[in-house]
Amino acid sequence: MTTTQIALDTFVAETGGWVASQLEACTRCGICAEACHFYQATGNPDFSPVWKIEVLRKAYEQRMTLGGKLKAAFGIEKKIDDQELIDWSKLVYEACTVCNKCSMACPMGIELGPLIHDVRSGLAAAGLVPDDLAAAVQKQLDEGSPLGVTDDVFADRMDWVQDDWEVDIPIDKEGADTMVVFSSIEIMKFPENLADIARILNRAGENWTLSSKGREVVNFGFYEGSHEHTALFLQKLIDAAEELKVKKIVVTECGHAYDALRWTAANLIDVPKELEITHIVALMDKFVSEGKIKLKKGVFDGGGGIGFHDACKIQRRGGHIEEPRRLLNILAPDSFRELTPNKEQGICCGGGGGVIAIKEADPYRFAVFGLKIEQAEKAGADTVVMACSNCRLQFLDGIQHYGSELKIKGLSNMVAEAMEGGD
Amino acid sequence: MTWTDALEFLRGPLFRIAFLVFVAGLVYRLIRVVALGWPKDRVLSAGSKTKGVATTYAKGIGIFPFIPWVKQTFNGNAVTFLAGAMFHVGLILVIIFGTAHMLAWKSLLGFGWPTLPVPIIDWLAAATIVAMVALLVNRFTHPVVRKLSGPAEFLNWTLVFLPMVTGYLMTHHLFFRYEALFSLHMLTVDVMLIWIPFSRLSHFVFYFFSRTIHGAQFGKRAVTP
Amino acid sequence: MGEETIYEHLTQQGVSRRDFLTYCGVIAGGLGFNRLAPVSASGLPEKLADVPGADLTSFVSHALQTKPRLPVIWLEFQDCAGCTEALTRSQSPTLVDLVLNKISIDYHETLFAAAGFQAEAARQAAMEKYAGQYVLVVEGSIPVADDGVYCTVGGRTAVAILEEAAAGAAAIIATGNCAAYGGLPKAKPNPTNAKGVMELIADKPVVNIPGCPAIPEATTGTIANFLVFGELPELDDLGRPKAFYGTTIHDRCLRRPFYEAGKFAKSFDDEGARAGWCLYKLGCKGPTTYNACATIKWDGGLSFPIQSGHPCLGCSQPDFWDGGGFYQGQSAPLDRPAATVVGAAAVVGAAAGAGFAVANRSAKKKLVSIDATPGEETS
Repeated sequence: MTTTQIALDTFVAETGGWVASQLEACTRCGICAEACHFYQATGNPDFSPVWKIEVLRKAYEQRMTLGGKLKAAFGIEKKIDDQELIDWSKLVYEACTVCNKCSMACPMGIELGPLIHDVRSGLAAAGLVPDDLAAAVQKQLDEGSPLGVTDDVFADRMDWVQDDWEVDIPIDKEGADTMVVFSSIEIMKFPENLADIARILNRAGENWTLSSKGREVVNFGFYEGSHEHTALFLQKLIDAAEELKVKKIVVTECGHAYDALRWTAANLIDVPKELEITHIVALMDKFVSEGKIKLKKGVFDGGGGIGFHDACKIQRRGGHIEEPRRLLNILAPDSFRELTPNKEQGICCGGGGGVIAIKEADPYRFAVFGLKIEQAEKAGADTVVMACSNCRLQFLDGIQHYGSELKIKGLSNMVAEAMEGGD
Repeated sequence: MTWTDALEFLRGPLFRIAFLVFVAGLVYRLIRVVALGWPKDRVLSAGSKTKGVATTYAKGIGIFPFIPWVKQTFNGNAVTFLAGAMFHVGLILVIIFGTAHMLAWKSLLGFGWPTLPVPIIDWLAAATIVAMVALLVNRFTHPVVRKLSGPAEFLNWTLVFLPMVTGYLMTHHLFFRYEALFSLHMLTVDVMLIWIPFSRLSHFVFYFFSRTIHGAQFGKRAVTP
Repeated sequence: MGEETIYEHLTQQGVSRRDFLTYCGVIAGGLGFNRLAPVSASGLPEKLADVPGADLTSFVSHALQTKPRLPVIWLEFQDCAGCTEALTRSQSPTLVDLVLNKISIDYHETLFAAAGFQAEAARQAAMEKYAGQYVLVVEGSIPVADDGVYCTVGGRTAVAILEEAAAGAAAIIATGNCAAYGGLPKAKPNPTNAKGVMELIADKPVVNIPGCPAIPEATTGTIANFLVFGELPELDDLGRPKAFYGTTIHDRCLRRPFYEAGKFAKSFDDEGARAGWCLYKLGCKGPTTYNACATIKWDGGLSFPIQSGHPCLGCSQPDFWDGGGFYQGQSAPLDRPAATVVGAAAVVGAAAGAGFAVANRSAKKKLVSIDATPGEETS
């Protein structure tokens, strides 16, 4: 079977009423493009979200509708060929972070994000994934982590953090209530997160543990779009949770991992209904509101304006919009500046959806990052805070690219720093 | 064959055919999509799907069409927002609250309703026609919309535009005899009725699917859609 | 012919010169020349241009002074005699009286005192005497089903009588909707297969004066036109004189401002109806009905249906009986499928849609088991 055929078959196999009714609803108005930061930053109409799903639309119409079949038969519309899929692979992997702002803008309310996800699924089945991304997926398949956090690396890093930061990090603790899963980005690039989050959990008296088997919350299968791989990586976490008999899984500072585990897993694999899945940002807010940790007020005031970057998968698609704001209003009440737009309308950093892993996508992700710098300047924010480590990577890369003086901070680090009382 | 004869046919047998094709076609299109199967959503909701749906309908139909400039997406494609809203508002009001149209509905449904004064309907119709022209120009000039527009889009525009223009000419007895204009109006309406189920003009049916899905997806996540 | 002229005939009857000139003015008016706006539609200005220094009244006066009386044969077929009744009840006796009595009626089924074979014989005689010259007025539709047996006079079918009478006629005036377009007898289910004159007679000039009944002045005005000019007036595409049928009721209606303002009566005798508001919502067919009701009106200009509070039925238009119902909006479709038919269409659509969806779903099932391992194919 040809590559194209596999992709088209996958499109069709995934098109039920949910997909079809939305494809039928599109009126080709183009408003989605106005919400897409890739189009806004480059002016390239190919980056319109509706155009990104064109191959899905064509496959649906040509294979599943009378009109589409007739159009293809009479040559009014060309059938999809190999080159078209290769071109589209570039569009949906390199120029889309699946941020879902287009879903909010569509006058018909079409959920373009999941539809782009479906396109990726077909392309993944056909092996048309950009090399860098495919390599990262392979690494996660082989080593359990796209950044190479193997069993040994994991153990070593944990030892090192516990030593250097003098903090207790339980691993594979039996009888724990909560299983915390870090992202390899934090493990490898922001180890302070490990220490700070551990400190917060310990101070709050949470009965928590890490799992050596379920140690990677990042899900490159999710970026790739392959249901098989996504499910595989998710299953590891659920299995680990069941083995440890925990009641709750906490996703730390990662965005897409939260989307995958909290909002997608139950539709791919069996997730026990009693298992609560939450994000560290919500947990920290809960600790504060329940008085389990106390924060010194205004610790971060006096250092210039502080803005908050709403991460697409934690705020817009995650629902934790007010939690970080409640925390920042304690941490820096006089310095907090809202960006415009913000909250569920926030602009994506440009690094999500796997884009940051693809070298060829660099020009696009830096182009869209310009919008974030503009936002910070307009809001008078000298520092931008975020609760997603992938956004943090993108911000660091972008700031360097533009030679900007913008500073960034992780929210968990700020909370840990502001905690009152001894350890 | 006089215009009076033509009118009798276009208002009579051809309308019957067009109307039946319209009904059968829309039901066909709807069932063909709906019967494809709907996967059950096994993800636990954090918020209320119902509230999300209610909010998104209220915002999508009741608020933002009338103040589109508050949206961030407005500036890049203002014509689509303004002309699109004017077109829809005018179309719906004229078709439902125009006296002549109401009487046609009354004959089909068995009951009528109060209507808007003729001069107001007239103004709405004129504004709608202008809006449609603006939308057509936009399809040629806006880079994104131009990319998305093919023969189907232009055909859809034409088949919606012609009934409006012929209706307006007819009401004002412009240029041609009343029966000639009425005949053209009925002809274009009949053709449009037949075309609706087989084109994106039927988006008004699928709107209720995408809008509801959207509200549910956001409501589930406790995010305001 | 050696016959006395109309003028001579009238003076013999004791009509003074002054009265005669008055009558000419009335006829000129009755021809629709100075009472209706679309004068040019009547074709008169072209005609007048041929007569140097002519004004209407003297033109008519000249005609009546030089022409003999016009023989008119008036036949009735499938009719109610309403058009005749309207004529004789007309309160403008001057024109009607002039035309019918003073000009000539040589045969009229309803008006003749004579009946039976004597009347028929009189008709035959008149037709022979004035062959090629008489004006044939037809009232009522002509049934053709079952060899025309549904209307016979003296054992002969209407079709046969018409064809015989038409053969010797100089022109034919089909008065009333029945004679023009088939009228009431033609309404569904049309058991007698009723036809208008135009559908049966193709070789003689036919003018339609539709209406139910026809406006008397329209009939007599057309006869007068033939008398004065020796030919039929200019006709529209449905064979009606433009002088009387050149504009719609809607365009001349006294309630038109209320239509424009959107003030409609919603039911009979409601506030709007009593205030004289537009009757569009009560089914008025004014916009598509061409007639002179709104200008010439009825009973010598006394009133017309809308003025009296009833919506126009559209009675001068073909097939007005099947026009959707007298109280159905003029804009409504004429042919609406019954709820059961619509339901059936929906069922057909649903079945087709379901069938298609089922086919799609089974095709999908076959695909689900495809091997989807990335990296298998070269990209």
